[in-house]
Amino acid sequence: MSEKISPFHIALLVYMIELDVTFFSLPRLIAENIGTNGWIGLIGLSLIAGLNIVLIQLVYRFAKGRTVYEIMERAIPKWIMYPVYVLLAVFWVMLGSFVAKKFVLIFQIISFQTAPSMFLYSLIAVMALYLLTKGIYNISKAVTIFFFFLIPVAFLAVYFIPEWEPIRFTTFLFREAAEGHSFRNWLEVYTIFTGYELVLLLFPYADRSKKIFKGVYIGHFLLTSMYLLLTAVCFGFYSLGQLQSLMYPVIDLLSYIELPFINRIENLILTLFLFANLVSLTMFLWAALTALKRLFPKPKKNALEIGLVVLSALIAIYPKITRDSEALLRAALYAETGLAFAVPILLLLLLAWQNRPKGGRSA
Amino acid sequence: MTTTTPDHKPAQPPSVEAALAEFSTCIDIEQRTFPKNAIQAVYLLHLVSQDQLYREIIRPFMNATDDETAHLLTQSVFSEVCSHCECVDAILNGKAALYQGNQAWIIDLARPIGRTIEQSETESVIAGPHDGFVENMMENLAVIRQRIRSSHLKTVELSVGEVTKTPVIVAYIEGIANPDLLQALIDRIKGIETDAVYEANMLVQMIDDNPNSVFPQFMTTERPDVICSKLTAGRIVCLVDGSPSVFSCPTSFFEFFTSPDDYYQRWQLGTALRLLRIIGFLITIGFTAFYVAVTTYHYEMIPHTMLLNLVESRSRVPFPPLFEALLMETTIELLREAGARLPTKIGQTIGIVGGIVIGQAAVQAGFTSNVLIIAVASSAIASFVIPSYIMSASIRLIRFGLIILAGILGNLGLIVGIGFIVIHLAGITNLGTSYLTPVAPMNKMDWLDSFIRGPFYLLRNRPSQTRTTNTVKTKMRK
Repeated sequence: MSEKISPFHIALLVYMIELDVTFFSLPRLIAENIGTNGWIGLIGLSLIAGLNIVLIQLVYRFAKGRTVYEIMERAIPKWIMYPVYVLLAVFWVMLGSFVAKKFVLIFQIISFQTAPSMFLYSLIAVMALYLLTKGIYNISKAVTIFFFFLIPVAFLAVYFIPEWEPIRFTTFLFREAAEGHSFRNWLEVYTIFTGYELVLLLFPYADRSKKIFKGVYIGHFLLTSMYLLLTAVCFGFYSLGQLQSLMYPVIDLLSYIELPFINRIENLILTLFLFANLVSLTMFLWAALTALKRLFPKPKKNALEIGLVVLSALIAIYPKITRDSEALLRAALYAETGLAFAVPILLLLLLAWQNRPKGGRSA
Repeated sequence: MTTTTPDHKPAQPPSVEAALAEFSTCIDIEQRTFPKNAIQAVYLLHLVSQDQLYREIIRPFMNATDDETAHLLTQSVFSEVCSHCECVDAILNGKAALYQGNQAWIIDLARPIGRTIEQSETESVIAGPHDGFVENMMENLAVIRQRIRSSHLKTVELSVGEVTKTPVIVAYIEGIANPDLLQALIDRIKGIETDAVYEANMLVQMIDDNPNSVFPQFMTTERPDVICSKLTAGRIVCLVDGSPSVFSCPTSFFEFFTSPDDYYQRWQLGTALRLLRIIGFLITIGFTAFYVAVTTYHYEMIPHTMLLNLVESRSRVPFPPLFEALLMETTIELLREAGARLPTKIGQTIGIVGGIVIGQAAVQAGFTSNVLIIAVASSAIASFVIPSYIMSASIRLIRFGLIILAGILGNLGLIVGIGFIVIHLAGITNLGTSYLTPVAPMNKMDWLDSFIRGPFYLLRNRPSQTRTTNTVKTKMRK
């Protein structure tokens, strides 16, 4: 692969991986777990994610062009790493599948209620396969176009200005969280940022002559801004109690919009978010692909890609109702968050050991 | 991709008998003998200029002695050839072959065949030059040279088609065009192995990176000013003999939405026109499909005030929206195709008949709804806003796929369809460069001359897609 991904496209890639189905329940998640003025908590969580990115940046700096897999394989025997790769691949496929399946189930709340969910899922899976076969450079190109489809949605915030009341924010900080404050509750909100850790796998494909982490930070900042805008609109539009009781406040928010020529635009916007979920699914499948390619360096053309997509469809059969799907996705996101912190720390330790000065000290 | 036909060896010595045998049963081959000096001229009667033939061959050789003949043949217009094969090629290219014993000379007597330069019918502009390319390649090259008076404008001559041996010229500006891209293009043209190539639009399909894509990957035009602007931008152009279309490369998807008009008007107007074309593109590709999606699955999206009219209009239609839309779109395409095939005067009648029959009668007969007529007509009109006819036709074809998807899956089908198109576009390359430049890879300076038409003082750089090292195009300041 001769073409390298520039920081601009990395920014959009990070933005689009992080943006997924949790977008629709985000204000509720914040209201339930953080309580009043949860947007401040969101900033804090975003900063923690930023710290995680700093860890990844350190890995990138010390790796000096080596891939994550190369660093690990230099320190750990391959017979240990190969089963880990398989587990990682399966886990990433699961995570992608749960994201996409949850989107399908939410989509079915407003449209195609009687259609088999797996039929709708398979549509997304076929798109993901098509995207996957194009390679990461072309994925980043497609993601750029998808980004431009989705970003105008932010301008809809203007519509809520007349109904928006700052008084609804209240003067209390982090009060009335549904179950009080706990690590688990904050972690649940934190999972909305999951996805940036895939940058670890993008090292060999990024343009090393440019500051790629500038792109990662910009992408993360852009997403945080988008989430803050959404949270600000929702907290000024709904009361805290309403936010806590609405399953998907964003869908209700969109259905409030009545333009002169079109109503109920949640039909269209929710469908448009297929792109964000498609990118998440594709990127997790791609991550799985990179892991499997360590085991099968020269696979038959598209064989691994097809296998991964079929596996994702098989996994997606399991969650049949929204509640199940949400629970599974939450568990997977917790694990991914753990990985996002653990892997860079492990890699930094390995790099410190590998880069230690060679030879003994002369007396 | 060779100038020799496989049935005769390049080393065969020239002889009049061999030439006549080669052209046996060709009624337009003519042999003229000058007994005084044993010269025999062989040429294709209708390819050569009769005036030149008289001036250059008949009059001088008619009564020339052997010495005079030998002296005449030393003139630079005559070039001696050593093989039969070269003689045959020369005769086929409108030259005359002169034989004397075992020796042969050729002289160019070709006369221009075809129409004179006139306005392009497919790409008309309001402001700007009105001349268009013609079928004669050399004349087209002359038109380009007239506009670019630079010795840096270089050409590479090639030939394609085993049977047709169509001459092809690759032109570029030395010092601006990227040599790697130039070589890649030349290699691809040399790699064509086919009997015949008649048109530039045909040739480009043989050198595409993605031959199965519905999108055109090389920009073809009949306008010399467009081609000159491509050359100075660092692109490489290619002329094909017999084709009034000239293509340029590397090409991006968004280039098809630009027109020379944009540069001949104030930049604000040029920008507005480009944005209008992009809106036109979105309407063409999605409006009818969106109508089908909404009227099949998402009636709740229609505002109450519009809903009554729509339901009233739809209530008399016995078909589902998908069938109704496909019926109307097919009818519009039939009208368009019929209009294109018929002479202009009858073509106008088709428009009137189509307009009345489809617009009025179909609604009154309960075949279709008023709103669909508006959707289909807007889509059709919007498709003609796209300057490139080939791109416009491709988009119209894709629209059918989106309508069917929207009819089956509503908004989801529409979005899935658009997703597939985007993924497909992301995978397309032209001579190895991204088709989606300047969006992906992003180049913000290129945006000034793609989605908008920035003022000239801001259009400083050549397009990044050309990969030129000579990037500065304009040095002037505001």
